[in-house]
Amino acid sequence: MTTLPVKPFLLFRRPTARTGLIAWLTTVDHKKIGVMYGLFALSFFLLGGVEALVIRTQLIVPNNHLISAHFYSELFTMHGTTMIFLAVMPLNSAFFNLLVPLQIGARDVAFPRLNAFSLWIFVAGAVILNVGWFIKAGAPAAGWFGYAPLTSKTYTPDISADLWTVGLQVLGLSSIVGSLNFITTIINLRAPGMTMMRLPVFCWMALITSFLLILALPSIAIALIEVIFDRHFGTSFFEVSNGGQPILWQHLFWIFGHPEVYILILPAMGYVSEILPTFSGKPLFGYPIVVFSGALIGFIGFGVWSHHMFTTGMGTVATSAFALATMAIAVPTGVKIFNWIGTLWGGQLRLRTPMMFALGFLWLFMMGGFSGIMHSAAPADSQQHNSYFVVAHFHYVLIGGATFGLLAAMHYWFPKFFGRLVDEFWGKVSFWTIFVGFNATFFPMHFLGLNGMPRRTWTYDSNMGWNGANFVSTMGAYLLGVGVLIYVVTLLWSYFKGRAAGPDPWDARTLEWSIPSPPPVYNFAAIPMVHARDAWWYEKHHPEETAREQTAHVREEAAHGGIHLPDQSWYPLASAGSLLVAGLFFAVSNYPAAIGAVVVMVAAIYLWSLEGPGGYHLHPEGAAGSGLAGAPEPGSGHENSSSPS
Amino acid sequence: MRLLALRSRLKWCFLGSLAITGPLWLAGCWLNGPQSTFDVKGPVARSQLNVFMVTVYVTTVIFVVVGAVLAYATWKFYCRSSADQPAEPRPQGHGNPLVEISLVSASVFCLILIALPTLKNIWYTYDVPEDQRANAYEITATGYQWWFKFEYPQEPITGVGPLVTGNELIIPAGRPVRINLRTVDVIHSFWVPKLAGKVDMIPNRANHLWLEADEPGYFYGQCAEFCGDSHAIMRFRVIALPAQEFAAWIVGQKLPARVVTPAGADAPQKPEAAQVRLANYPLADASSGDALSASPAFDAEPLTGWREKQIPSPAAEDPALIAEGRHLFQQKTCIACHTIRGHEGVGVTGPELTHVGSRTTIAAGSLENTPRRMRDWITNPNRFKPGNKMYNGGYTDPATGQRLINLTDGEITAIVAYLQSLK
Repeated sequence: MTTLPVKPFLLFRRPTARTGLIAWLTTVDHKKIGVMYGLFALSFFLLGGVEALVIRTQLIVPNNHLISAHFYSELFTMHGTTMIFLAVMPLNSAFFNLLVPLQIGARDVAFPRLNAFSLWIFVAGAVILNVGWFIKAGAPAAGWFGYAPLTSKTYTPDISADLWTVGLQVLGLSSIVGSLNFITTIINLRAPGMTMMRLPVFCWMALITSFLLILALPSIAIALIEVIFDRHFGTSFFEVSNGGQPILWQHLFWIFGHPEVYILILPAMGYVSEILPTFSGKPLFGYPIVVFSGALIGFIGFGVWSHHMFTTGMGTVATSAFALATMAIAVPTGVKIFNWIGTLWGGQLRLRTPMMFALGFLWLFMMGGFSGIMHSAAPADSQQHNSYFVVAHFHYVLIGGATFGLLAAMHYWFPKFFGRLVDEFWGKVSFWTIFVGFNATFFPMHFLGLNGMPRRTWTYDSNMGWNGANFVSTMGAYLLGVGVLIYVVTLLWSYFKGRAAGPDPWDARTLEWSIPSPPPVYNFAAIPMVHARDAWWYEKHHPEETAREQTAHVREEAAHGGIHLPDQSWYPLASAGSLLVAGLFFAVSNYPAAIGAVVVMVAAIYLWSLEGPGGYHLHPEGAAGSGLAGAPEPGSGHENSSSPS
Repeated sequence: MRLLALRSRLKWCFLGSLAITGPLWLAGCWLNGPQSTFDVKGPVARSQLNVFMVTVYVTTVIFVVVGAVLAYATWKFYCRSSADQPAEPRPQGHGNPLVEISLVSASVFCLILIALPTLKNIWYTYDVPEDQRANAYEITATGYQWWFKFEYPQEPITGVGPLVTGNELIIPAGRPVRINLRTVDVIHSFWVPKLAGKVDMIPNRANHLWLEADEPGYFYGQCAEFCGDSHAIMRFRVIALPAQEFAAWIVGQKLPARVVTPAGADAPQKPEAAQVRLANYPLADASSGDALSASPAFDAEPLTGWREKQIPSPAAEDPALIAEGRHLFQQKTCIACHTIRGHEGVGVTGPELTHVGSRTTIAAGSLENTPRRMRDWITNPNRFKPGNKMYNGGYTDPATGQRLINLTDGEITAIVAYLQSLK
C-alpha cells in the first residue's frame, strides 16, 4: 500500500490496519460498524434490563423502602431513555448497517465515513446520557418524556436535565446522519435489476424508518433547544411565571414521539417479513400491500400524536379528530398481520428459533395492537392514560413487537455474520423462557391499570388491591431476565463453539445468503443481476443464467480496475470525540471550553473533507458465480477517486 | 384408543375452560380495588367504562377469529419431520387482492363500531350536559407538589374568601360537580377512577372536568401525571354526601377552628401518660403488611368512619396539652405555611388545617389520620413523602442541609393533640 500523493496538512495518515483496535476505530466497513452498533446496543439493552429489574423489585411488595423515591425516578427515566434511544434504535441501526447493502447487492453504504461518524456520535450521546450515574447531580430523573416544567431550573436545579437534553440532541444528530446515509444507499446503490418493487421488505422498512427519522427528529430537536435555552440563557418557552406554555413541549415532543413508536416497530416488521417467508418456503403474501401499508403507517403516524394527550383538555373536536386518526392507523397495521398469516398459509413451516420468535411477535404484537385500539377510544383512554394499562400496552408493542423482532433477527442473521449457527436447543429454551416471563410480567399490568394504579409511582399502599398482580409481575420480570440471559449466553457460546454455517443455512430468499458467511470485506465478488423479488431464491433456481451473468459482471469490473473499496479514516472518530467533549462542557455551562471543542470538531470535519474518499482495489480469486470465498488482496492498488464519501 | 381420544378431548375442554374462566377469575380478584375503573359509581365513569367494554368486545372477537386462523395455520402447515417436506417447494404465490380487500373492509367495519360510541361519549364526558348545567356544583382543585387544594367558590366566608380544604374533597351526591383544574407548579392530573377519568392540571391552562356520584360514598383518587419524586404519594379522597348532610357539613366547615376550653384547676392532668402512649407506637414498616392509609375496619365502612371523624370527643382530650400544642404550632413556625382559620395559622403554601382533625387521612391521602400516624408524619415527613416542603425548606435548609426546626417527642405529642382537636 502506497501513501497518498502530496496533500494539504492532514494531521492523521490514513490508517491501513486490517485487524486490531485501530482497524475497528477507523473502520468504514458497514459490517464492522454494524457489529459495533450491535454490541454497544446490546450492552445498553442489558443495562436497561437491570434498571427494569430494580424497578420491579421495588414494587414487589407495597410500601417498600428498598430504594429511594429519587433513585426510582432516575431508574424509570433512564430505563425508558436507554431502551428506546440506546438499545432498540441502535440495534435497528446495526441491522440497517449489516443488511441493507447486502440485501440490495451493494459493496458498502453511500457515505462510509459518515456512517462511522454516525456510530461514534451515538456512543458520544450514550455517554452524555449515562454520565449522570457517576456524578453528584445524578442521572436524569424527569421521565423519558421530560414534561415541562419539570425539566426547568426551578424543579431540576442540578445538571441532570442538561445531560439529558444534550445527550438526546447528540443522539438525534446520529440518527439523522445515519438516515440520510441509508436513504441515499437504498435509492442509489441497488444492484442492476433491483427495482423498488423488488426491494426486500426489510429494506423498504429501513427506508421508511429513515424518512420518519429525518422528519420527526427536527421537532424534538427544536423542543430540546427551547429547554436548553430556558435553562442556560433565561428564555421563557416553558417558564410558567413569564407566560411560557408547558403544553407546547407536549405537542413538540409527541410530534416526534409518536412517529418514534413506528421508528421502533417498522424495522421489526421488516425482520418478520423476511423470516416468515424463509421458514414457510413461500414468498411474502401481498408484498405490495405490506410495503404500502408500511408507508401508510409512517404517513398517518405523523397525524396521531395528540392521542398521547387526550387528558390535556384539548376540547371535543381535536380529541375526536385524533381518536379517529388513531383508529385509522389500525387498518394498515392489521393488514400486515393478515398478510403474515397469509404467508404461513399453504407453506411448509420449519419452526426453528427465529421462526418461533417471529410467531411470538405475531401473537404479542397483535395483543399490543388491540390494547392500542382501546386507547384510541378517547373516553376509555381517560381512565387508562398514565395507568399501568398503558405500561402493559406499550411493552406488548415494544417487547412483544420490536424486541421479539430483534431477537428473531439476531438469531436468524447471526450465522451470516459470524459464520456459526446459534445453538437450536438453547435458542428454543430462551424463546420459551422469554415468552412466558414476558407475559407473566406484563399481562397482569393490564389489570393493575384497570384497577387504578398510576404509572411512575415509586410505591403503593397495601389496601389498593394491587399486591397480587405486582408480585406476579415482578416474578415474571425475573423469569424474563433469566430468559434474556440464556439468549445472550447462547449467542456468546455459539460465537466460539457453534456449528459452522454455510452461506445459506436456512434456505433463504434474499441476496445476503448468496455470499459466504461471514461475508468478505467486498461483500459480492460479482455484483448480482436481480430478476425477481426474492433475488437469491431466483438465483438458486436459475443457476446457469446466474453464473453466466456474474462471469460477465466480473469481467466488466476487472476491466475497470477490480473491486473498489473506500479507505479507513480517523476523522469520524476525532470529530465525534470532540462533539462528546463539547456536549459535556456545555452541560456543565462551561461555554468557552464547549466552544473550543466545537472548533476542534469543525477542524476535524474540514480535514476530513480535505482527506478525500481515497480507496483501493481488490481482485478476489475465481470471482465467478455465487458462494465464492476468494481471499482478498488488500492494497493491490491505491487511488484517489472522486466519488463522494 | 377411544379412551385416549376422550381423555385428550377432556384435557382440551379443561384447558379451554381455564382459558376462558382464568381472565374472569383474575378480573374478580384484581379489579376490585378502591380505584377500580370497573366498579363505577357515577355517570361519567360509567360512560367511559361502556366505551371501553365496546372496544373489549370488538377486539376479543377479532382476536378469537384471527388467533384461531393463525393457530390453525401454524398447526396445519408445520413440518413435523423432514418426511413432511415435499420435494418440490410449495407454490410461490404472491397474494390475493380479493382476500386483502375483504379483510380491510372488515377491519374498517369493526373500527366504525368503536368510533360511534367514542364520538358520542367524547362530547358527553367533556362537560356537564346542557339540561343539568344550572344544577351543577362548582369546585376548584389546585395541584401542588405533592397535595391537592380544594376551593368552594359557591361558599364564600365573609372577610376570608371561598371555603378551602385540602386533600379531601366533599361533594354533594346525585348532583353534577364541575371541577376547575389548576396548578401552582408542575403538571398534575386529577383522577378519581370510580367517578371519572383523569384530566390534567397544566400551568397556564384552564382545564376542567365534571363528575357525579350516584350515591353517597367514599372514593379514592390519585395524581396521574408524573410530578416529581413523591408523585406516588400525591393521593386524595372524594366523599359524596346526601344533600342535607352536605349542607350541614358546609356550615360546619365555614366556622373558624374549634377552641378547646381549658378545664378547671382541679381537672386531672395527664400529659405524661399521653406522651408515653404515643411514643410507644412503633413506626409502620413494609413487613407489617398494614395499609398506611386506612385500617381494615375503616376500609370496610369508610363513610361511617368519615362520619365518626366529624364528632369531637371532649372526654378523650387533654386541654392543657392542646393549649401547649397550639403554642408550639406558632412557636415552631408551622403557622407560616398552614392556615388555621380563627387561630394563629396564616400560611398558604401548605394544606389548610382549620378542620384537619375531622379528615380521615393526612399527608395527601397517604396516612390514616390517627394520633400515631400523625406523630410518625410530623417526626419524619421525608420518610413518607420524600422531598416534601415541610421537611425540605421547613425543618431543614435544602441549600445547606442545616437543621432549622427541632421537635422533641413531647412537643410532637402536644402538636398532634392540638391538630387532632381541630374537628
